[in-house]
Amino acid sequence: MDGKLVKRLFKVGALAGLVALYFSLDESTRRYLVHIGKQVPYLPYRYFI
Amino acid sequence: MADYDAVVIGAGLGGITSASLLAKNGMKTLILEQSDLVGGCCSTFESQGYKFDVGASIVEIVHPMDKFFALMGRKREDYIELLPCDPIYSFVTQDGRRFSYPTDIEATTRVIESIAPEDVEGWKRFSKLGLEMVDEMMDAMMTSPMNTLGEVAAMAAKNPKVARYLPLLVRNHQSVVRSYYKNPIILGSVAFQSYFAGAPPELGSGIFGFIALSEHLGIYYPRGGMISIPQGMLKAGREHGLEVRTGCKVERLILDGRRARGVILEDGSEITADVVISNVNAKVTYLKMVGPENLPGWAVRAIDSYRLSMPCPMIYVGLDKKPDLDAHHTVVSGSIEEMNRVWNLYYTKGVIPRTAMSLICWPTEADPSLAPEGRHILNFLCNAPAPYAPLGDNWDRLKDWYREEAVRELERTVMPDVRDHIDYLEVSTPLDFERRLLSPQGAIYGLFSDLTSLALFRPHARSRVIRGLYLTGSSTHLGGGVPTTIASGIITSNYVLKDRG
Ligand SMILES: Cc1cc2nc3c(=O)[nH]c(=O)nc-3n(C[C@H](O)[C@H](O)[C@H](O)COP(=O)(O)OP(=O)(O)OC[C@H]3O[C@@H](n4cnc5c(N)ncnc54)[C@H](O)[C@@H]3O)c2cc1C
Repeated sequence: MDGKLVKRLFKVGALAGLVALYFSLDESTRRYLVHIGKQVPYLPYRYFI
Repeated sequence: MADYDAVVIGAGLGGITSASLLAKNGMKTLILEQSDLVGGCCSTFESQGYKFDVGASIVEIVHPMDKFFALMGRKREDYIELLPCDPIYSFVTQDGRRFSYPTDIEATTRVIESIAPEDVEGWKRFSKLGLEMVDEMMDAMMTSPMNTLGEVAAMAAKNPKVARYLPLLVRNHQSVVRSYYKNPIILGSVAFQSYFAGAPPELGSGIFGFIALSEHLGIYYPRGGMISIPQGMLKAGREHGLEVRTGCKVERLILDGRRARGVILEDGSEITADVVISNVNAKVTYLKMVGPENLPGWAVRAIDSYRLSMPCPMIYVGLDKKPDLDAHHTVVSGSIEEMNRVWNLYYTKGVIPRTAMSLICWPTEADPSLAPEGRHILNFLCNAPAPYAPLGDNWDRLKDWYREEAVRELERTVMPDVRDHIDYLEVSTPLDFERRLLSPQGAIYGLFSDLTSLALFRPHARSRVIRGLYLTGSSTHLGGGVPTTIASGIITSNYVLKDRG
């Protein structure tokens, strides 16, 4: 297998792992993560105000 | 030359603290307050012989208040008499069970043992860590500026033990308390405090989980009502030349490019100053008083992105008899799931919840002089939180219905015969609260507080967009609360004094 393919497989695996981890969490924790995730794009702006 | 060295908009705790400290340091300082009363959310109004607290009903963590008086060269005891309230809370569960948490940690252990022996070990771990945190971090956490990464790094370098508590900040409130307790009744009794920071247990930062411990350092009620705190602090400020004008609403800032030069009042008159400190909500400060047209696009985006804190209706009750209560505060508690459900299915959807959590405060237990002879006061936060804009309706129309709901809730939970003993009853809805304090949408703690709007990410005490503008109070670092807003005033005054050299 070439290096590129290994890297790609690794990325796909990591992503699948994250998705699996997310769905293994209870609904309330998922809401917390989604809530925080939605705020993250604003953090660089908030830091400077 | 400017009229004043500093003008402070709003006589809330943050405004009074920063203004007094500037006056103490020789700056000619003026506070402008739109209401006739000082103290904002920490105030007391009089009606038909009763003295009702506008919002705040106790103070815990007196460290910042004591620090303020020390910085003023005074002693707190000479200005404010704090009456200890013990037990801290009496709880009424949804199925009618009652129990109380005393201040004493050992005595609380026995209460927990009688309800949930399996949680005693968790309580011991919780109180040990909490007390260590208070010992190691209180001063650093309460009065260090945290506006920039550099400041946070400096604080961490001085207090390396802070690393131990960082995970608490990142986790949510419920996951922290669940790592100590299993019993749903005990969990309910340590989770509802997330609403004191304005968020449900699933969204609030885990660090607020330790409010349930800091209460055991003592909770206090000031003799004369909550207004005695701002009044006592103002007295110390006035002794150093601080001026205060009440009934004086500020409309806009005077700007010279991106430099604050003073304020324009409602009547159009102008007061110039080298420094302007705003104690009003940061959204109002930037979007109304400065104006989006005077801000760069990214700054408008930043300030727009903050959510306001939740509103909460208050019911002020005068009684012709002593209520059958066990403590200054009675909490009608529910489970963590119920608290989250109320937030997700009611509050955020614009529906007023029928059951959730209520906080019943009995100030005449500590200070009988607040009511006419033989009478009592209950300040009742009914089923908090409630939406500012109830779906398809409006609080002015709902007021009578809500009054009846509140009486029914009191009958159901703590006082079955309350209806026969009501001598006075007033409902303050989120709309009333907005009108009284000009707090947008009746927000009780300024801005919503979660991990992404704390410390570095909360509007800064020293504005980075408008020179000469400083902010203080609940929408800045440390958020809502009596001790936290006093601490924010200390931080803000330190910036001003440092910048003046
Ligand atoms: C219902 C409720 C219960 C609470 N319970 C507790 C508690 O038990 N314990 C606790 O520690 N904390 C409690 N808090 C929180 C605490 O009271 C507040 O966080 C704190 O008092 C806010 O202080 P602040 O400095 O942000 O100023 P604020 O209290 O917000 O005051 C701001 C001031 O600015 C004035 N103002 C507004 N606009 C203008 C204008 N345009 N021109 C001039 N003046 C203006 C307002 O009239 C007000 O006086 C409670 C709050 C509420 C609302």
